[in-house]
Amino acid sequence: MDYVQMVKESVEFLKSRVKVSPKIAIVLGSGLSVIKESLDVEAKVKYSEIPHFPISTAPGHAGEMIFGKWNDVDVVLMNGRFHFYEGYSMKEVTMAIRVFQIMGVRYLFLTNAAGGLNHAFEPGHPMIITDHINFMGDNPLIGKNIDEWGVRFPDMSDAYNSKLVSIAEEVAKGLPVEYYKGVYVAVAGPSFETPAELKMFRYLGADAVGMSTVPEVIVANHGGIKVLAISAITDRAIPEGLEPLTAEQVLQVAEKTGIQIAKIFEGVIKEIKEELK
Amino acid sequence: MTEETVRVLKSKIGDVDVAIVLGSGLGKLANEVEEAVHIPYSEIPGFLRSTAPGHAGELVYGVINGKHVLLMNGRFHMYEGYSPKDVVYPIEVMKMIGVKKLIVTNAAGGIKLSFVPGQLVFIKDIINFSFRNPLIGKNDEKIGPRFPDMSQPLSYEWIEKANAAIYEKMKQKLETGTYALMLGPSYETPAEIKMLRKLGADMVGMSTVPEIIKANHVGLEIMGISCITNMAAGVLKQPLSEKEVIEVANSVSSNFISIVKTIIERTC
Repeated sequence: MDYVQMVKESVEFLKSRVKVSPKIAIVLGSGLSVIKESLDVEAKVKYSEIPHFPISTAPGHAGEMIFGKWNDVDVVLMNGRFHFYEGYSMKEVTMAIRVFQIMGVRYLFLTNAAGGLNHAFEPGHPMIITDHINFMGDNPLIGKNIDEWGVRFPDMSDAYNSKLVSIAEEVAKGLPVEYYKGVYVAVAGPSFETPAELKMFRYLGADAVGMSTVPEVIVANHGGIKVLAISAITDRAIPEGLEPLTAEQVLQVAEKTGIQIAKIFEGVIKEIKEELK
Repeated sequence: MTEETVRVLKSKIGDVDVAIVLGSGLGKLANEVEEAVHIPYSEIPGFLRSTAPGHAGELVYGVINGKHVLLMNGRFHMYEGYSPKDVVYPIEVMKMIGVKKLIVTNAAGGIKLSFVPGQLVFIKDIINFSFRNPLIGKNDEKIGPRFPDMSQPLSYEWIEKANAAIYEKMKQKLETGTYALMLGPSYETPAEIKMLRKLGADMVGMSTVPEIIKANHVGLEIMGISCITNMAAGVLKQPLSEKEVIEVANSVSSNFISIVKTIIERTC
């Protein structure tokens, strides 16, 4: 079956299961499902129930969409994302974003766990992403362009909506939260980066490194959805004196940082509430 | 497949002094061909269909300024979903029909800050940032070596000769630069452009590098010309669009045509 049809059928199924049509979608990264505590849950749909949906195999990722209200605003939360390193194609990795686009979502909030390359970054703090470097070696838009979804060559010069970045920053300033801003580099993984690679990424201008988010951001920009993305800096990815890293550590720190990210999102939702009507 | 493709082409065309791959918006050179023979890709076994905007889909054989040319009007890109092998298939075929000189052209984003839209630049070197290579797989020694040398991926000597000819005839000289290939089709982010600048790239685009690699593999003499159609992301505070790329390429096409015709006449 062709991809457009698959997306349409997933959308039809979700519409039959939930009555709301949220304008904000939130993708929860590794260890960040704590963000869902902020939600007044109305409905949960398992990925396995949605036609054509892949199933998330990554640790710290459940596999469900949660519909609910956050500060009286309808949102849909993606609890568990799909990663390139799991063996999914870029089209599968980003399928949920297409589904959101067709459902009428206009804002996409993304989160992830990332290693801090910037010397000034301490683990346990959020980094508002201002731009990215795609080092994954693939692109979800390769293939025939689907003109009804977006243009052949989407502009990426404001991929992380600068207005949303400023709003998030204003919100964070009003909170007891130490936050950073920076460039996220995405690698395919799943092996963590070597010290030499980390050194290279730092030289290339990246502040944090991870294995997700970039494909989703490309598709969201193609589909005209505004993006706000925040990394939880979970470890110091500093090549000098690099310590062995485990997924458990990453998840533990991400969970703590997730609480701060949730507060930033909450503030941003309040700010953009009017525009959603 | 190659033998069949060669047979079909040889039945339609004669000797070729130079083959030229035309990039986005640069197809107007095809109108300059005398005694033109048009061969749609659909009539050539093994050729794909070009789906990219600003790209026709045909070979044009004929005469420009007294030289026999074979123009590839419309190329194939990896962002279209084609494998790198399919993208460079025409280059292999060119070698088989006896082509010795190849000019590849493209529309590119300017990374070097002194570049201006509309400027033409000789490609002197390339950075392959596509994570792909058209030579991956079993090598056919009859076509080329397993590990082709890339120490001079484009002919410096030809650039010298061409610049001398252009200067003599048009009192112009083209700068040279390094072209970085990105997969696309989304344009680069400002952070990616900063990175490419740091790495030594002067311009960026989504084509040409696979063809240059394949041409080195089969042993063609190669020249590359980029038309800077826009400044790359983040250089100016404005979004990038395909419309702008095609418009700028069109607006400089007469200069492009004069330069390429001079190169054909005097160096091929």
